[in-house]
Amino acid sequence: MSLTDLPYAADAESPLTIEELSVLRRQFEKEVKEDDVTTQTKFNYAWGLIKSRRKNEQQLGVRLLAEIFRESPERRRECLYYLALGHFKLGEYTHARDYNDQLLQREPNNLQAQSLKKLIEDKLNREGLMGAMIMSGVVGAIAIGGLYIASLFKDKRK
Amino acid sequence: MAGTIDEYHATLKILLIGNSNVGKSSLLLRFTEDTFLPKDDVSATIGVDFKVVDTVINGKRYKLTIWDTAGQERFRTLTSSYYRGVQGVILVYDVSKRESFDQLDSWFGELNTYCSSKDVVKMIVGNKVDKEHSRVISRKEAEAYARKMQTLFIECSAKTRVCVKEAFDELVEKIIETPSLWQKKEKQPDNINLPRSAPTKQENSACC
Repeated sequence: MSLTDLPYAADAESPLTIEELSVLRRQFEKEVKEDDVTTQTKFNYAWGLIKSRRKNEQQLGVRLLAEIFRESPERRRECLYYLALGHFKLGEYTHARDYNDQLLQREPNNLQAQSLKKLIEDKLNREGLMGAMIMSGVVGAIAIGGLYIASLFKDKRK
Repeated sequence: MAGTIDEYHATLKILLIGNSNVGKSSLLLRFTEDTFLPKDDVSATIGVDFKVVDTVINGKRYKLTIWDTAGQERFRTLTSSYYRGVQGVILVYDVSKRESFDQLDSWFGELNTYCSSKDVVKMIVGNKVDKEHSRVISRKEAEAYARKMQTLFIECSAKTRVCVKEAFDELVEKIIETPSLWQKKEKQPDNINLPRSAPTKQENSACC
């Protein structure tokens, strides 16, 4: 028996069915209409949205979670975790890291947050590497351009 | 992910359920990484945690995807969606907490609501047998209950690692012995459990 090496955000990557998500949405909208939204309903819907593959739904999920984070201090730990996951899915890795680090500050031994940290850092490193490659490409192009121009001058001098 | 799918004989989905603080995550951690965290270092699971494990049984490789659900009430609605496509369910209680054993009934209720397949392998696991001095659920009582519910049963300790691997192995072997569970992908109905004031689907029009 062995553990596969890299953890991944399996929960965030397994979307609800359209019907499941719409059950959560209907409940939320009903409570909004009645002006009596419970934190639980809002959280459930936000969670369903984060799991979605659609970007606009993920963004709405993140927005709702940020609201719950402000409104309900007793929900902060799960909000931080799902905010990190939500931003991770949106490709906003530095935001994801900020939220996840906040959770780790409160709970240094939280295994879920530790595993998410690895994922986020892996993405950030890759982005950093890509950035460096693009930069070195640009620098390289300038250098080659420079050499070419220099060679033109040389030619003229001949 | 590591390895190609073709190398696996099958991928099995296993779910851990039970009251909060009975040690579901600790069992998983012991099984997957052979470690144990002291009480103060453990955080309650947020929503669900997930581990992928390779295991070899009778010379064949299986990929186990293990979903470790939060026991806290606030995540109950969420966790109902994780029953989809599950082949094995481990119901955990704490041998030193009567309440966690008594509530197995309601966990079975949830399980039967969301698992459409009758073949799903169920196992009751009594954790924390290292706390023998404060045990309140005897092995005999739990065995009788497991017989009544027609499930597998084992007592173990994530802390001392007693019987943890055996529990998972037995469950997996039983799943493998039930080919109907994993040979064809079963389409499960959608399931989201709404705790309160769920919009009821139009009542059957009352006229007869």
